[in-house]
Amino acid sequence: MTFRSKLFWVFTLALLLSVGLIAAGVMVVTQRAFEDLNQQHSDALVAQFQREFERRGQDIVHRVQGIADAEPTVRMAIDLSRPKSDVSIYVNDARGVSHAHQLDILDFAANDGSIISSAEWPARFGYKLSWVTQQEDWAARGSFLTKVETPEGPTLALMSVATVRVGDNNLYVAGGQRLGKEFLASLVLPTGMRALLYLNLDRAYQPANLLDSNGPANDAERFAPILEKEQQQPGQQTAKINWTSDPASAEIFHALPLLGRQKELLGVLLVGNSQREIAIVENRIIWLALAVVGIGLLIGLLLSWWGAARVTRPVRNLAEGAREVAAGNWNAHVDVRGGGEIGQLGRAFNQMTQQMSEQRERLVQSERVAAWREVARRLAHELKNPLFPLQTTVENLQRAKEQRPEQFEEVFRESTGILLSEIENLKTITDRFSDFSKMPQPELAAVNMNEVVRSAVKLFEAQFGAVGRPPITPELHLQEDLPAIQADSALLHRALENLILNAMDAMPAGGVLMLRTTNNNGKVHLEISDTGTGLTPEECDRLFTPYYTTKQHGTGLGLAIVQSVVSDHGGRISVESETGVGTSFHIELPSQPARRAQTIPSIFEKEKGKEG
Amino acid sequence: MLRRLAAISLGIVLLFAAPRVETARRPRYGGVLRVEIEAAVSSLEPTRGVKDLEVSGAKRQFDALIYDRRNTDGTFSSVAGSGLFQIAEWEPGKHATLTANENAPGGRPFVDSIQIQMGRAARDMLLDLELGKTDLAEIPVEQARRAVDRGVRVSVSQPDELLALVFPAGRAGTEDARMREALAAAIDRASIVNFILQKNGEAAGGLLPQWSSGTAFLFSTAADAVRAKELWTQMPKSAKLVLGYDLGDPLEQSVAERIVVNAREAGIPVMAQAISGAGATAMAASGDIDARLMRLRMPSPVPRVALMNFLAALSPVTKIDASPLPDPASPQDIYDRERAIVSSYCVAPLVWLPQVYGLSARVRNWIAPGPGETWPLADVWLDGPAEAASEKEKR
Repeated sequence: MTFRSKLFWVFTLALLLSVGLIAAGVMVVTQRAFEDLNQQHSDALVAQFQREFERRGQDIVHRVQGIADAEPTVRMAIDLSRPKSDVSIYVNDARGVSHAHQLDILDFAANDGSIISSAEWPARFGYKLSWVTQQEDWAARGSFLTKVETPEGPTLALMSVATVRVGDNNLYVAGGQRLGKEFLASLVLPTGMRALLYLNLDRAYQPANLLDSNGPANDAERFAPILEKEQQQPGQQTAKINWTSDPASAEIFHALPLLGRQKELLGVLLVGNSQREIAIVENRIIWLALAVVGIGLLIGLLLSWWGAARVTRPVRNLAEGAREVAAGNWNAHVDVRGGGEIGQLGRAFNQMTQQMSEQRERLVQSERVAAWREVARRLAHELKNPLFPLQTTVENLQRAKEQRPEQFEEVFRESTGILLSEIENLKTITDRFSDFSKMPQPELAAVNMNEVVRSAVKLFEAQFGAVGRPPITPELHLQEDLPAIQADSALLHRALENLILNAMDAMPAGGVLMLRTTNNNGKVHLEISDTGTGLTPEECDRLFTPYYTTKQHGTGLGLAIVQSVVSDHGGRISVESETGVGTSFHIELPSQPARRAQTIPSIFEKEKGKEG
Repeated sequence: MLRRLAAISLGIVLLFAAPRVETARRPRYGGVLRVEIEAAVSSLEPTRGVKDLEVSGAKRQFDALIYDRRNTDGTFSSVAGSGLFQIAEWEPGKHATLTANENAPGGRPFVDSIQIQMGRAARDMLLDLELGKTDLAEIPVEQARRAVDRGVRVSVSQPDELLALVFPAGRAGTEDARMREALAAAIDRASIVNFILQKNGEAAGGLLPQWSSGTAFLFSTAADAVRAKELWTQMPKSAKLVLGYDLGDPLEQSVAERIVVNAREAGIPVMAQAISGAGATAMAASGDIDARLMRLRMPSPVPRVALMNFLAALSPVTKIDASPLPDPASPQDIYDRERAIVSSYCVAPLVWLPQVYGLSARVRNWIAPGPGETWPLADVWLDGPAEAASEKEKR
């Protein structure tokens, strides 16, 4: 992945992350705001309910007290205080009075609690309303919630009790209003909210006892968990009901326990808050956020692309320059504008390549000079040997001509023999130089390296154990399953010969020549080690320089040829050596040579080029 | 002439709800008697071939006023106008004006005419009585006391209508006689009489009233909640019993609700349910009713006749023994049959209801009709304005 791509993705991810975080933050803040709003609505409704409850309670207290204070009630009380009073004439009174005072529940009860007249259940006359006689001070009690028996079954009512005392007898007036759908319908609710009332008339949860403003609530079974929890532990609770898989259908219900006189749970008010509006707004926010994110991403991507391109252009130029340098173009120059680290880097790069180019030029010059010197020295050395006999022979001929003409013929024959021999030497020397300059291109074919090694070693077997020379012991460690490589076996054979010759020269006192082949991940690795005198590090550094030799009669071309062969096969050669221990050459050859390795043109080729 | 003599001889009339002695007055002819009734009669054609006892009450009153001759079986046989009054105006189901027949057998009625308003609600009739807009109207027995309290003259007949709890045969809920007995024992009849009927009526233990049979006291009317509870606990658990009552009868509704309360106290689950119509036909049509209230009006003060009539009405529903009693039947025969039926608990007599009539201050010589009798409108006369005002002031 390019730096530009990385930078682009970094910008993009950073943008995504930022936008995502902002969107999430907005969502969370919005959701919390809505939750707070919901809570406020619910609290307001609960407070409204409590106020309404108190207001109605006070209203009922006033109405019941009004009934108790009314003249007919007082007369009834007086009548009832008389011995053997006839209470039957009052049996229907409660109904009319309750209608007049808009009470659902109204009972007149005698001093012993027996019902004289009942509005909600007229047929219940004569039976005891025992709880009215238990409370000591009804006036102080005010209104309260209680369970009331009706012909339809028990129900909840907000009640108040007033007493009319005549002598030692009390007439109890117990009146109130049912807590049911009418009460719920009278609550003014904000849009999206609703109130339900559960009448806790049974031990177990009864769905039929859950009412809304229209009567029994729909899907009342869904409220079972919250109401059962409320039955077990009364208190304000909150629960969410998802009516369908659509989040907009959800409602959050706040449960408010309604307690009776003995703090028993008589009912539960459920204030439901629809999540529809919130879901709609949340959806809008999500879509808006997605749109913003989309647009932002698009713009961000374009900006990232542009920014990455702008930022990486100098870097890419630098990389291109570095690649050019790596390819040998040390004159590479990058176009860097502006300041900053990248600009400094570009300028430093340009300065570096310029300096490297100059140094290389200088190095090439010095190497060229050194090489020419070495060539000159080697040529002089090589040529000096045959030239000296040539000179001596010619001088002998001259001397013989002048001083001993009679022997001249004999001297001439000997001298011409010597001259021809030395001239032959000179020709040999020039041929060797010519051969090196004309190294052929490898002709590739499938080659088993082990075969090449065995062939080369076999060539030298006679010399290893030659008489008058300390023996050299060859050791072959050849991996059998070595893969075949595409190579020129003749060139490899030649290179191997040079290395073996070098090793033999390095072991004048004999030793061990070890050749090892191994498969190194598809590449063939060849190691040639000797137990000879070894090389110094300086010698190692210059070992592959043409015409460099440490031997008295070497041409300095052997290892240069080896390096040339290895290089032509796309391989690598290295040397390890320790003085007094031995030297190891490591050659690594690929199974298939890559394109021809680009090497720095030889100084000779350069010279040729200049000449050409 | 006979009527005049009778009027003179009955110059002093004792009215049930007005325990005062009427001062003797000379009967007065003339005036328009305004009558309001709850029923709506749609036809004045004589109900030929149908026994008088089986004709609805209101129609029978009309028949008695406008027809004269009767057949031997009691049905009317003559033409309209041959009776005490002639039809002057007739609006079926709403209004009728009858004028006195000058040639009526036994003499001309005292009043010149009778204006009858039909289909009037009990509340409206009571209001009209209070306001002096009518002279004679029916008053529901449960409202008699309130009417008196509101200054209305009332006339109360002897209790001649039985309100009973009837158990239809074949209902699983009440198939076992102990179930029926439990429910019957749970009912507090005294409370029904004292509170619902406002002491107008009598608790009923037998199928005939005390004044008729003389043996009613032998039947217990006391509630026994302990016994009811004990009996009920012996029964397998069952669904709520359904107690039917006539949708248009407030008294039945009140009694039914009271029975529900009584039963509930005894641990018997009962549910009151209104059904349309009354009598055996309605009951037969109400297949899901375990018990229902029925009103049985005595057609005759004669015990045997009344009992046989009741049995004939109840037999189709309860499958009780309706075989004829010996004629004449001894009191023992009648008591034995009554006892057998009551002991089967197929019928639980509850209360005896009287008929209550509201009268205006000017109405004179009204005697509440007994079982099988028609309204004695021909014998009624009206005070003049001065006497009526004086009478009203006295009241």
